Amino acid sequence: MDFRKIEYEKAGEVLYSYDHPSGLKAFVIPRRGYSKKYAAFATNYGSIDNEFIIPGETNATRVPDGIAHFLEHKLFEQKDGNVMEKFSMLGSNPNAYTSFNKTVYLFSCTDRFDENFRLLLDYVQNPYITQESVENEKGIIGQEILMYQDNPDWKVHFNLLKALYEKHPVRIDIAGTIDSISMINRETLYMCYNTFYHPSNMIILAVGDVDPESVFGMVECAIPHSKPQPPVKRLYPEESAAVHRDYIEERLAVSIPMFQMGYKGSFYGEKGIELLMYETAVKLVLELLAGRSSQLYEQLYGEGLINSSFGTDVSVEKQYAFSILGGESPDPLKVKERFLSALEDAKKDGLDRPACERLIRAYRGRFMRQFNSVERISHSFITVYFKGVSMFDYLDVYDKITFEYVNEVLHDHFRPESLAMSVIRPV
Amino acid sequence: METGFDAGRPVRVSSFNGIDIFVVNTDKFKTSSIHFFFQDNLTKENATKNALLPAVMRRGSRAYPTLRDISMELESLYGASFDCGVTKKGERHVIHFYTEFLSKQYVPDGTDTFAEALALLFDIIARPALADGRFSGEYLAQEKENLKIRIEGRVNDKMSYSVDRCMEEMCRNEPFEIYDYGSVEDLAGITADELTAHYRTMIETFPMQVYLVGSITDKEAEEVSGLLSGLPRRNTITLRDSFSRKEKAEVRHVTETMNVTQGKLCLGCRTNTAPGSDEYPALMVYNGILGGGIHSKLFRNVREKASLAYYCYSMLEKFKGLMVISSGIDIGNRQRALDIINEQLDDMAKGNISDYEMEATVKNMETGIKSLTDSQINIVDFYLSQTISGTDDDFVTIMEKIRKVTKDDVKAAAQRIVPDTVYFLTAADSTGKQ
Repeated sequence: MDFRKIEYEKAGEVLYSYDHPSGLKAFVIPRRGYSKKYAAFATNYGSIDNEFIIPGETNATRVPDGIAHFLEHKLFEQKDGNVMEKFSMLGSNPNAYTSFNKTVYLFSCTDRFDENFRLLLDYVQNPYITQESVENEKGIIGQEILMYQDNPDWKVHFNLLKALYEKHPVRIDIAGTIDSISMINRETLYMCYNTFYHPSNMIILAVGDVDPESVFGMVECAIPHSKPQPPVKRLYPEESAAVHRDYIEERLAVSIPMFQMGYKGSFYGEKGIELLMYETAVKLVLELLAGRSSQLYEQLYGEGLINSSFGTDVSVEKQYAFSILGGESPDPLKVKERFLSALEDAKKDGLDRPACERLIRAYRGRFMRQFNSVERISHSFITVYFKGVSMFDYLDVYDKITFEYVNEVLHDHFRPESLAMSVIRPV
Repeated sequence: METGFDAGRPVRVSSFNGIDIFVVNTDKFKTSSIHFFFQDNLTKENATKNALLPAVMRRGSRAYPTLRDISMELESLYGASFDCGVTKKGERHVIHFYTEFLSKQYVPDGTDTFAEALALLFDIIARPALADGRFSGEYLAQEKENLKIRIEGRVNDKMSYSVDRCMEEMCRNEPFEIYDYGSVEDLAGITADELTAHYRTMIETFPMQVYLVGSITDKEAEEVSGLLSGLPRRNTITLRDSFSRKEKAEVRHVTETMNVTQGKLCLGCRTNTAPGSDEYPALMVYNGILGGGIHSKLFRNVREKASLAYYCYSMLEKFKGLMVISSGIDIGNRQRALDIINEQLDDMAKGNISDYEMEATVKNMETGIKSLTDSQINIVDFYLSQTISGTDDDFVTIMEKIRKVTKDDVKAAAQRIVPDTVYFLTAADSTGKQ
């Protein structure tokens, strides 16, 4: 059988890849000496894919919010019982998660990898959903939704997304709402499954002390050699470059105000490598302005306006992009004011070049460090893969990114009209 | 014996002045790490000071006088990390300082990352930034405020808050009721002189464990011994054991109200099984069957069958001898959930354990234990916990003990479990809301 081996000498890593006739791609990243073996079966389908045109049809289909996550829960159900029990008997830990743009099924084990792997391939391809079990699941997911309602970190983040976006489904909670999930039934679940779980929309990744040839051999046998399905046309509403609302505040049982402020990104390229480049540049600007080694961080910390919970984050996808600064603060609006003033100074005087180089050096080290953990490798690989690139392309980005480009992004991304803020205050 | 699996037992390379230095040599990670632990007995008198101390120390040392200097050095060291903090392990209070950095063989320009990271960490520990012989008043004031925020911020995470509060209610009037980060009342009065004196107490008298993990050479281990032998050590304190029994109890019901949507129900029990005893592995298996994962009775009955919760699990506090069952439920379902939980406890005590439950639990525990060896912090934590509980297991021996546990052993462990406290975090308007 045919598969490729790509060596990344700088990282001391090897990636094996295999193209299945159905259009499915499979990958192996070996980890010699590790006890844990890990595999993921992921589909390029997440909570934002709530409106689409099914291949072969002409009309758009709109599905209830939270259905991708609901489907993730229901896939564990099999004709002969819950698949989790079978994994348990093999001593492994199955899990799954749904994000804005992917659903990932995974397990980690230390022994009997082949049996676990075949089980993963089998259950994800064979849904068995009954209306009774759908109703039962509504209680469980209902409690999951309520749990997040009481989680201030989650709340402050989703309120920011609600402020940034007017229509784009990234503003909707991944699990949906108690109301939206009440409309989910067996038929809609199967319809979403049939649309988005075709092998050509999916990837498989194994990480650990495993043999690539044997992994790909199992993939070849377990996945039907059907023809690739044409891509699903996904419909996302037009979003303006400006924010929907510039401020949202809510009161919860917290001890100190929490905040997130963020910028909504507009055009930043289409190719995967451009996404990584843009993401890295936005991240650099945030850290140069307000990271732990910045003057602003030192001042705000010294004045008690921020504490060690303060941090920055960036998310860049084909459909949307945003950057975030946030944490706990007795006076979030003051932090915003001070950040904006540092931003204005940087726009006038330019960024700090030696600091930028030092940070890129740090990014190289942090990139390498993620290879310590099979979970982090997997998460990072899948996330980047669905952008149309490979996680190893970050090494190229760190080589090629220029100080001039970072300065350009400083002016392009951090615009006043694309800034919103979310604050949670104590009751 | 296991084959192809490294027991990962650390080698004690030196022991002097109440300092033990251990090396875990492995080349499977891309990073190496250095961990310094200082141990104290958990007391009201010291707890807040123990929590405040690393917070002030991380603000700056003589060579790196500000937070910013430390951050810049870490970034230059290819994004090395440094952190410190406190945790309680039973009635021990452990102060942890550590750094993790890219191992030399992965550094493009040949920087001696071990030497540089060690220099930074040791400077922070042994040469704090003092002015006139004491901690800076400015740093102290800021970190007192930050610690106050942290202590008050316990309520923000309702899941961990409810479990902690349940254990505190169980252990009223025992040292274990003290919160890891101390209390706001004790914090207010701490002066720079007092904290500086407490720093000397820590450096001079707290027993110290050092772990070096990764690609560590003999020479590097000797460097660490050399540096630490220069610390002014004297009269190391005696650490006490945490474990206590309580074989009879009338179940107390504690309800706390807060502005919440979901109720958090916790049932705290005494295990009456000491961590070093022959019965302890059976207690681990007991906990696994009851609430240690998707195969467990709690997960299957509270979540899957009754559809009452998204999460329901049990956990052991090994050192003190506690077990807490925790679940997030609709406020109106408190009694129903409690009934189902109690049925599971009764089932265990009667020895109603299926082959599936037994087998799946043991296998999952094996997987869990083996998986620990893939993380530096988990390896260190496992072995530090061994020294605290006075046991001498490694990853292989603990698995062997777990495999030998029988259903009768589990039943016996179940019969030693004594429910003690039901804690419920609920909305002020107890009719619940959606």
